[in-house]
Order: sequence, then structure tokens, then C-alpha cells
Amino acid sequence: MQKYLLTIIATFGLTAAVSADTIRATVNGMVCGFCATGIEKTFRAQPEVKTVDVDLEKRLVTIQTKQGRTIDDAKIRKLLGNAGYSVVAVAREKQ
Amino acid sequence: MKTETLLSLTITIILSLQVEAKPLSYVGGTMVMQENDETGHTVSSDYTFLPTEALGVYVKQEENGKEILMVTPEFNTLLKRWNLPDGQGNIFNMSGAGLAHYRGNNQPCLWTAFLADYESRRWFLSYEPRFVWDGDIEKSVWQRARIGIAPYLAKYNDLNTWIMFQVDHHPAKHDHFVATPLIRFFYKTYLFEVGYSSNQHIMINWQTQF
Repeated sequence: MQKYLLTIIATFGLTAAVSADTIRATVNGMVCGFCATGIEKTFRAQPEVKTVDVDLEKRLVTIQTKQGRTIDDAKIRKLLGNAGYSVVAVAREKQ
Repeated sequence: MKTETLLSLTITIILSLQVEAKPLSYVGGTMVMQENDETGHTVSSDYTFLPTEALGVYVKQEENGKEILMVTPEFNTLLKRWNLPDGQGNIFNMSGAGLAHYRGNNQPCLWTAFLADYESRRWFLSYEPRFVWDGDIEKSVWQRARIGIAPYLAKYNDLNTWIMFQVDHHPAKHDHFVATPLIRFFYKTYLFEVGYSSNQHIMINWQTQF
């Protein structure tokens, strides 16, 4: 029984360690290419980030992190704030 | 080294830097702008070092009156921003202090401008009063307003087109108004404008960010 428990814990632990996040931030104030490019450059410079995509129509910034890395909501809000925009909501899912 | 040589060298360096405009970008971003319109030729570049502050260089060769060359550092501040679901409103201040050159006469100069704008993916509105003091060469105040509409909505990495109309008011120059219809093209971080003013000047502006 103890071996099974250890195996389960190790499996969950490993999964968590190698998983990546897909984060969708709803952002106010994005209207043009300057906005989108500034946000993309800001996030691409972060070591945790694998890809970033900006959708002006849906007001969404979608960030995919590297395997085993994450980026917390506070940092996302700070980076978008420094780029000049307001975060309305952050949703995330594990992959 | 003569002042004229220094000024020429400065302009050459700035032009070669592919500098651009809009008073602020994102932290770590550089903006470069060149404007050629009925007021003269302007090249400016700034680097955004804080979310609300940018520092740069401003060079303007005035026309339509005294041909004054101004070279100043430029300090841009975002005074207020409204981030809205479908748009953005801003109030900026841009200011500089440096040197004005006119017919061999060099004078200290100061300028400051306020820019209020609202932009959505469909509409653009702006108003800018500007105050210029070129020592004992000239003092001037002028203001500019602009309205624009995007006839279609495109993604930012497609070509965006705007139809715009600009009005300049120059109280110091016979109190006259100048109207300029123009077209703006916007592709990713490259902005290009072309227009023709009511006093028969071609407007060509461009701006980029990197």
C-alpha cells in the first residue's frame, strides 16, 4: 500500500512539475498594433513564457508558459500595468 | 567645433537612428517619429523608462514663417490614462528645453505641449495645444485637433487604414486655420500618414516602435 501511495504521489508531483499553464488575461485599453506589440515584447522577455498572443477584438492576452514553469497573477498584472493597460480578469488552465 | 556643425551632427545621428513618435510606449520600448507638415519638419525619439515617463530627443526645423531650428531633449509624461473596454483615453505632457538657431543667432528655447486623445479600434480624437519660446527669436502658441475613423476593423498584424481630418490654428501666424485631410496606414508597429493641407503643403508622417 505504501508503495502505491508513493507511486501516486510521485506521479502527481511529476505531472505538476512538467505541466505548463495557458493563461488568458482580459485587458482594457488595447486598441492598436503598438499596444499589441508592446505587450508581446514585454511577455516574450520573461523566462517563464513560451508564447504570447494578443487578440484586440476579444481583449485577450493569451500566455503559454514553458513546461514546468508558471507565472503568477500578480506578475501578469504588473507587466500589463507597466505596459500601460488594465487587467480585468485572469483565467488559467494546466496542460 | 561650431554650433552649426554640432547641430548638423545631432540631426544626422537622430535620422540614422530611425527614431519615431507618440510620447510613450511600454517600459523598455523606444519610439521614433518623423513629421513633415505645414509647420515644418520634426524628428523625435524617446525611450520609455517608467510606465508614465519617457526621455528623448526632439529636433524641429520650422517653416511657414521664420525657419527656426530647435534641438532639445524631450521629457514626456503620461498625466492620466483611462483604459476602457473598447478604447483608451490619455492626457500627456511633452516638454523640452534646449537651443534654437535662426540666421546665425542661437537662443535658449523652451516648449511644452499637452496632448489629450481618445482612441478605439474605430474612432480617433485628439487635441494638442503647444507653447514655444525661442528666446528673442519668436514666441508662439498653436493648437491642433484631429478626428479619424477606421472604415474597417482589422487585426493588428493586418494593414489598418484610417481616414482622418486635422485642423491647426496658429494665432501667431496671421491667426489662420489650416485643414489637412489625411490617410493613416498602420501595420504592426509601423504607422504612415499622408495628407494635403489647405495651404498646399504635403504632409508625410511616420512613426515606429521597437
